[in-house]
Amino acid sequence: MHQQTSETFDRNAREALADVQLRGALRNLATTFGGRRKEAIATVEDWEGLRDRARAAKDETLAHLDKYLEQFVGNAEKAGAQIHWARDGAEACRIVLDLIRARGASRLVKSKSMATEEIHLNAALEAEGLAPVETDLGEWIIQLAHETPSHIVVPAIHKSKRQIAELFAEKVGIEPTDDVAVLTGAARRILRRSFAEAEVGISGVNFGVAETGTILILENEGNARLTTSLPRTHIAVMGIEKVIPKFTDLDVFLKLLPRSGTGQRLTAYQSLITGTKRRPEDEGPEELHLVLMDNGRSRMLSHPVTRQSLACIRCGACLNACPVYQQVGGHAYGSVYPGPIGAVITPQLSGLKQSAQLPYASSLCGACREVCPVKIDIPELLLHLRAEVTEGTAAGTAAQHGPVKSRPLERLAFGLYARAWSSPTLYLWGARVARLLQGAVVRKGRIGKVGGLLAKLAPPLAAWTEWRDAPPLAPRTFREQWREEQKR
Amino acid sequence: MFDAIRGHLAASAPHDAVRAAHHAAAAHGEDVSARDEKSAAVVFEGTAVERFRQALEAVAGRCFVVKDEAEAAEVLRQIAGQRKSQRVAVSDSPLAGRVLKLAGLPAEVLENAAVGELFDSDLGVTGAQWGVGETGTLVLESDAERHRLASLIPSAHVALLEARNVRHTLGEVLRAINERGEGGLSRAITFITGPSRTSDIELTLAIGVHGPAELYVVVIGGEGNG
Repeated sequence: MHQQTSETFDRNAREALADVQLRGALRNLATTFGGRRKEAIATVEDWEGLRDRARAAKDETLAHLDKYLEQFVGNAEKAGAQIHWARDGAEACRIVLDLIRARGASRLVKSKSMATEEIHLNAALEAEGLAPVETDLGEWIIQLAHETPSHIVVPAIHKSKRQIAELFAEKVGIEPTDDVAVLTGAARRILRRSFAEAEVGISGVNFGVAETGTILILENEGNARLTTSLPRTHIAVMGIEKVIPKFTDLDVFLKLLPRSGTGQRLTAYQSLITGTKRRPEDEGPEELHLVLMDNGRSRMLSHPVTRQSLACIRCGACLNACPVYQQVGGHAYGSVYPGPIGAVITPQLSGLKQSAQLPYASSLCGACREVCPVKIDIPELLLHLRAEVTEGTAAGTAAQHGPVKSRPLERLAFGLYARAWSSPTLYLWGARVARLLQGAVVRKGRIGKVGGLLAKLAPPLAAWTEWRDAPPLAPRTFREQWREEQKR
Repeated sequence: MFDAIRGHLAASAPHDAVRAAHHAAAAHGEDVSARDEKSAAVVFEGTAVERFRQALEAVAGRCFVVKDEAEAAEVLRQIAGQRKSQRVAVSDSPLAGRVLKLAGLPAEVLENAAVGELFDSDLGVTGAQWGVGETGTLVLESDAERHRLASLIPSAHVALLEARNVRHTLGEVLRAINERGEGGLSRAITFITGPSRTSDIELTLAIGVHGPAELYVVVIGGEGNG
């Protein structure tokens, strides 16, 4: 298999479509999580109202992000947390590395965090001779396999039980088994050793409460609780968009996130951590370091369409609902964040230049918008980014990542299309010409597989008709029929 | 970094104005806040304790509703007996201490257990400051007791909860904590809903990954307050 990047999406997708095992896993994901989500949202009375309230809270925060960040940081510091600001991923990695080095620590445990995936923290630490241990079962599996997550909630969804059993047999020496409980038990036993001796725990953050300086971490396994309770030092990496205004806003988000993500009313554990322990004899780390990371986020604030990307609470519902993700899985996107939300935030975080294909990895069906708990209009964002690609401008990203290769033919085609469709004369004339021309390809009232010269001239038509017929234009237009009716 | 944030927000102002005008013209602005109370409305007919029991058992937790501490001690004795517990770690909750004493378990009881001892314990006993009916959730606050490790490391966790502290909704509990003000917010608050679980392998549910595989909640105080 070739190196999968966002630039090779087309090829990645074709390879994924041929992977029978992956397709089965994705079908399981869509039906299981899709079904559970439906049941779970039926247990709240006013789901739509909750979505509106959550979005309103996020919009309020983002419109005054400077103010809420200041408040959050002030309250966290008052409770004993130490704050570090990171403009980009490299800076965030260096801050974490320096903190570890300054403590002479080498035994590191990590709980699941998309922010640390985004900045490739593990690779940065490993390059310096450190060996952070992922402790979430899914993350541990892909760490053992030297792979990347293919889903933001269930990172090892692409792997079968059998592959995992073989992996465990090879890497940690357990007897191969198809009993999930045995595999899980092995992970518990082995990772407990890592927890018992860990000096530094690294976590992400789901929400930061401005009013109190509290961070909240959700999970099901208990590894995040162990990571944030046992080691002497806790380092939490959070995007600056994770802030919400009030402590009681948590109620709304805790109703939305688990239901949307895994279809649970609530995940098994939430840890609400406010600074460091109050008395020396209390449990918990001596130090809490919060690494607040921008890494392309503040740029998204500069337009209301792009700003809504920052409302995302990383539930994964749009992945599970997306007909594209359901077929190709996460790795095809070649980015840390896959699926519809990945297709819109990847180009904004890492530049459209490397990921110009991603905004096109969608049929614009709107299923993502339908399930999004914070009502992000992902199709609107996809169109916004497509416009940037064809314009070749990518206003914000150009300065950071160089100009995007524009698509002049696409511009020309849609320019002509727009002209023709906005003038009745041109429209009628165009239809007449098209009816004349289609005589060459219509067979038995359908346009079947197009080949030869025409396929070269009109690649989209050839691509469309390779697997299905295209309906021809009607022999007479409605206007023509109407005119004749009137004459009678 | 604040400069970047403020700069980009300022750049957005003209676009925001256009949007706002557009929305005002569309005038479909339903009052979102008016729906607040409706979505918090309680649909459940029974008491908060009964709701808690049903929700907890739906996520594979076990719930016992008892009259008093003596009955709670009896339940604890049965659980420890069935599990043949040898080493029991207990938090510094006065309630947990009293019930453990009444139970008189034939096991080693560790108060303030060191981390190594906790890994060798097979039962953890704590109190809980709140219960949430709608989800079957326990809320434990670090200012009330040292709960973090005893409720997490042993393979089974028994939590003792007073019926009068069970509320219908999480919103009620969050508001109650918030109303105490700054000094009343514990540095570590833990929400627990059922035993530790994962679906990371083929989405197959497995109970007891890193946290306890068994969760028992003993609600003390009879029928509760509804």
